[in-house]
Amino acid sequence: MPEVEYETTVALPRERVWDFVKDMNNWAPYLTGYQTHEILSDTDSIWTLKGDVGVLARVVKLKAHVTEWNGPSRVSFTLTGMNEQVDGDGTLEMDTNDGAAKAAPGSPAPSASAPAPLAKRSFFGRILDAIFRFLFRRMHGPGVVRALPTGKGGPTSKLKFRLRMDAGGPTGPLVNAMLAPALLPAAEDLANKIAAHLESGGGAGAGAKPAA
Amino acid sequence: MVDWFKKKRKWDLEADVVVLGTGGAGMTAALAAHAGGASVVILEKSKLVGGTTAVSGGVVWVPNNHHLGEVGVKDSRDEALGYVKRLTDGRSDDALVERFLDSAPAMVKWIEEQTPLRFKPLGRYPDYHPEFPGGKPGGRSLDPGLFDANELGPWKKTLRRSAVFGMTAMSVGEATDWGVFSKPLKLPFKLLGERYAKGYVCYGGALAGNLLKALLERKIEPLVEHAARELLVEEGRVVGVRAEKAGQAGQPGQEVFVRARRGVVLASGGFEWNKALTAQFLGGVLTHPNSPPSNEGDGLKMAMSVGADLANMSEAWWCPSVDIPGEEYDGKQLHRGDFATRSLPHTIIVDRKGRRFVNEAQNYNDLMKAFFAFEPNAYERPHLPAWLVFDHAYLEKYALQTVMPGQPTPEWLTKADTLDELARTLGVDARGLAQTVERFNGFAVEGVDPDFGRGESLYDHFYGDPDNKPNPNLGVIGKKPFYALQVHPGAIGTKGGAKVNVDAQVLRVDGAPVPGLYAAGNVMAGVTGAGYPGAGATIAAAMTFGWLAGRHAAAQAE
Repeated sequence: MPEVEYETTVALPRERVWDFVKDMNNWAPYLTGYQTHEILSDTDSIWTLKGDVGVLARVVKLKAHVTEWNGPSRVSFTLTGMNEQVDGDGTLEMDTNDGAAKAAPGSPAPSASAPAPLAKRSFFGRILDAIFRFLFRRMHGPGVVRALPTGKGGPTSKLKFRLRMDAGGPTGPLVNAMLAPALLPAAEDLANKIAAHLESGGGAGAGAKPAA
Repeated sequence: MVDWFKKKRKWDLEADVVVLGTGGAGMTAALAAHAGGASVVILEKSKLVGGTTAVSGGVVWVPNNHHLGEVGVKDSRDEALGYVKRLTDGRSDDALVERFLDSAPAMVKWIEEQTPLRFKPLGRYPDYHPEFPGGKPGGRSLDPGLFDANELGPWKKTLRRSAVFGMTAMSVGEATDWGVFSKPLKLPFKLLGERYAKGYVCYGGALAGNLLKALLERKIEPLVEHAARELLVEEGRVVGVRAEKAGQAGQPGQEVFVRARRGVVLASGGFEWNKALTAQFLGGVLTHPNSPPSNEGDGLKMAMSVGADLANMSEAWWCPSVDIPGEEYDGKQLHRGDFATRSLPHTIIVDRKGRRFVNEAQNYNDLMKAFFAFEPNAYERPHLPAWLVFDHAYLEKYALQTVMPGQPTPEWLTKADTLDELARTLGVDARGLAQTVERFNGFAVEGVDPDFGRGESLYDHFYGDPDNKPNPNLGVIGKKPFYALQVHPGAIGTKGGAKVNVDAQVLRVDGAPVPGLYAAGNVMAGVTGAGYPGAGATIAAAMTFGWLAGRHAAAQAE
């Protein structure tokens, strides 16, 4: 079953990040393939996403259930497919920062969007950054590419997103193989879009407009 | 030709032979031209390589191929010729049919010598009318097998993949042996997932992948996102093309002028995604093409612009198609060809009167023509729209496009507890549907369909359930709930286009060749006319005339 983890640094204190993240209406549109979402209760919501399965884009409806709401450090949730045999779970963790951002241990691929802070990079390093960003865009489309904060301008925090999806039924092993390549870009995209939004001065309410 | 180019005459690229399109026709033409000593430039309009071939079954239909002995099938030129000529319905030149049948076996041998491809004969895949004189129960359709896309190196991501065929890495032969239609739950999904993760592709992806690999080995790299727009003509001879190179990241594109010293090969696919052209030419109503959306008739228009004669313009490789809302391919709603559902037990296709009107298990090309029947008194096509109607027994046993047996019923099916309710929901005559189902259920019990002959042909059986008795294609529709899915007029491509001679040279209306211009594939007037002789007939003709075009062009003096 495909599972990915992605971590980035946000140039804001953890509490500020939490203020934004705690309301899913704020960041819902930043989910890759977001179409609509409907909040059913404090813990339950229904999400409609358009995702890539192999070369095909398909619409999937997922029911999300929050299992842990532990602000300002952690949200855990489960996902259940409503029109596909798929389920999963994930966590969004926020922590005060003690170093530069990095791809989390166990991450299945190096993060092209998380180079070392630009201010510390050599000329050749900056050229390499540019090449990596170009390649990332070629592979995953125009995602958010951020220059990560150096930590010199104020408090920073870490934002870590873990996501596991598991297709069930007889075709599960095949669907999982198709899902796997799409998960890490989706995790990176969400974390970086939230970070970019907050770093640009955006706040709560600037993001999503819930469908219901 | 644009005026400034006439004066400036500065070519951006030059080659002996310029090929437009990277499907089976284009890549084979490029390989043949290069093997014949020509330098080659190959332009591709989309950002992916493989064209319509890459989204197809990838099978190649070649009578008298050198693999037939492996499956114990005997064949002859006369049998093949009689069979194909019957199917063309008088819409193809006999000389071209003969050229195809004489050249295709040699083309396949040559491809196996020049590329990594090693075809396997599909001994149980029958011709599409195997009972006609000269038809065969199998062996003429050749399977490209699996292909490890990692062999393409950085070009792996550029190989076009099918959203319908080949999402799994399973050869056509394996699919047949494993009972892909009748026993979907027995497919080895763990193995298929492992193969997918490793990068294996199959069907049309395997064929296109092998051809691309052969091109790359010859140092011929397709120029993707280069859409040819105009044939450049000097003193009556095609000497090059003007193409548009797509701009990156919202930037405007740029013109690229490519000189062709010996010839240009049009291999840019059909016109099925061009609504104006389909309305202008096709005999049927095409609303749901199955091919890549880049097939917009670019090559056809360029051929017309230099005075090419046209033929077979009312024909397409028809295919009944269904939509699953929300599925997109290349940014457009995906139209899925229905190859098996309608052939399996517990299904029928009805019109708005609730009446069957065709053998639902007939081959997809010929089946579609029944949809287009015209009723002059009412001045309408009575069989459009049409719906696939089936019962829960079907869903318990067989796959329905993306839905496997036992999975939740999808929202995109119309569902009702009674046939009466189903009919009223669809706007279909309820009494007519009830009578139709009652009559069909009697046929299913007897195992014979006297109305339309469903389940009589070996072809029908290939797509049926061999364990369903007494007939692999007939099953009672009686277990509630009942379901319906609209069946739309689709096509895997058009097959009208530029008339060619036996060397694939494009002909003018007066019958003389347009110097320097060739055509192959769906941009060429289809050699099989109205008919579809067997699985892979499209690609076989495309590759054969691509091969002939490449060889002939390479042999021309500059």
